[in-house]
Amino acid sequence: MPTIGQALTVEHLSKRFGQVHAVHDLSFSVEPGRVTGFLGPNGSGKTTTLRCMLGLVRPSDGAARIGGHVYRDLDHPGRIVGAALEASGFHPGRSARGHLRVISDALGLPKTRADEVLELVGLTDAAGRKAGGFSLGMRQRLSLAAALVGDPGILILDEPANGLDPEGIAWLRGLLRGLAREGKTVLVSSHVLSEVQQTVDDVVIISRGALVQAGTLADLAGNGAIRVRVRTPRREALVAALQAPGGSNTPTGIDPTGPDELLVTGLAPSDIGRTAFLAGVELHELVQQTNDLESLFLELTATGAPGGTA
Amino acid sequence: MIPLLRSELRKVTTTKVLFFLTLAVVLFTALNVLLLVYLTPSAMEVENNDQLLLNPEYVTNILGAAGSSSIFVLILGIVAMTGEFRHMTITSTLLVTPRRSRVLIAKGIIFLAIGAVIGLIAFTTAITLTTLTLAGKPHSPIDSGIALQILGGVVLGFAIYAFVGVAVGALIRNQVAAVVGALIWVLIVEALLTVFVDWIGKWLPGGALDAVLQATNVSGRGGSEVLSVGAGAAVLIGYAVILGALASATTMRRDIT
Repeated sequence: MPTIGQALTVEHLSKRFGQVHAVHDLSFSVEPGRVTGFLGPNGSGKTTTLRCMLGLVRPSDGAARIGGHVYRDLDHPGRIVGAALEASGFHPGRSARGHLRVISDALGLPKTRADEVLELVGLTDAAGRKAGGFSLGMRQRLSLAAALVGDPGILILDEPANGLDPEGIAWLRGLLRGLAREGKTVLVSSHVLSEVQQTVDDVVIISRGALVQAGTLADLAGNGAIRVRVRTPRREALVAALQAPGGSNTPTGIDPTGPDELLVTGLAPSDIGRTAFLAGVELHELVQQTNDLESLFLELTATGAPGGTA
Repeated sequence: MIPLLRSELRKVTTTKVLFFLTLAVVLFTALNVLLLVYLTPSAMEVENNDQLLLNPEYVTNILGAAGSSSIFVLILGIVAMTGEFRHMTITSTLLVTPRRSRVLIAKGIIFLAIGAVIGLIAFTTAITLTTLTLAGKPHSPIDSGIALQILGGVVLGFAIYAFVGVAVGALIRNQVAAVVGALIWVLIVEALLTVFVDWIGKWLPGGALDAVLQATNVSGRGGSEVLSVGAGAAVLIGYAVILGALASATTMRRDIT
């Protein structure tokens, strides 16, 4: 009977390191039974947030809770939460099996548990080898194995796909999807959306320590619904025509992007063209913007996005 | 606490540092015994060694080599604790046991036990080699009462000294700084303080260790005053507890990033 996960909640979390505001008033929640992508550029505060969740870093303000409790108040936290924070936390002279036994011992689990999780991550052949000689990909697998030792209901993985080859990434995807299907809570951080795009159900996007967006991946894709760039010498006339009441279609947003340019959201190019034609407005350009998530992600997290370090 | 102790013990048995430092203790102890048996200390004004071997106190000195390698035990404790920070294994340690003082206490207990075992190994090395090398030479007999006192002193002294090492490592998390700092303290600072401030020596960690090890005669303090064995042990444990508490209140509370 697999362990079912609990929700993770981050409430107004802030962390300052001296003058640096690593995380600023961040709130979001992560639900069980789903894979949640925790996304943001390098240095945006992802790792700090995860370390606050896990009791390794003390928040300056706010809190991160696991099923309603802060990490250090959990009974047997290692059986509730499994975390893989970085690929470097191994004693170079200790074997993979030894590393996992140190953990299984502390959790009060039998010695055989180490070999079970090594099998699960495909490291059985390297069980007796020293972690110091491991490749980055093997270290990632060992980190993941360490997170799985206590068969936790919640998995928190920091950039788990780093250093994995495409085959490894596909394998990781299958594993995480399977764990979520069992009802576990899976939180995976990444600085590249495309790396986790096929794995995650939900996304939490942060930039410069503040929340940019949280919701389902479908919402994120929908957020970029249809955006059309329009160039016309009679910009004001087109805006008036598009906003005219009684029209069958009205756009969700019209943003002037230049003296003769508009970015129209929520209307297809054909609708805009028809409205312009009926209003007698001359069009020079009518282009649907590419709608891939990666560019949307980059746009959301670019400098000048909401939040910031002030 | 039992799972935590088992985990801390597993950490030590899955790396080589314990083996190599124990080996160093054995070799250093053996070297001391052999030098004392086969060479004449220059301070001793005698014709040859055979005369010395007839002196009961000199035979006690040979056996006392068991206590000569305490510094390795201190370093073992320091390396074990600072290694957690150096290799960042402290992250996975604290994920399982977020209450940091519990980790420190568990490690302290394990190293008390390990120090005691190394003390036993050092004593076994010393008495075995002494018995073997003295056989066939005219020598003063090994007094079993004194041998037992040496055994007790070395086991107790090494146990507490390893514990002190863990506390020092928790306070000074940088491995190189902690090891070098401890060596400088033991070999230079404490020696100077003892020479220039007469009354202070017996209260310092090294002086307290000498008190515990006094049956071994290895203090090298030239007859300067030492505490009783019990008082020395108490002072030494006091240092470990104070350093550990200080670490718990300061360095062990820091963010692990």
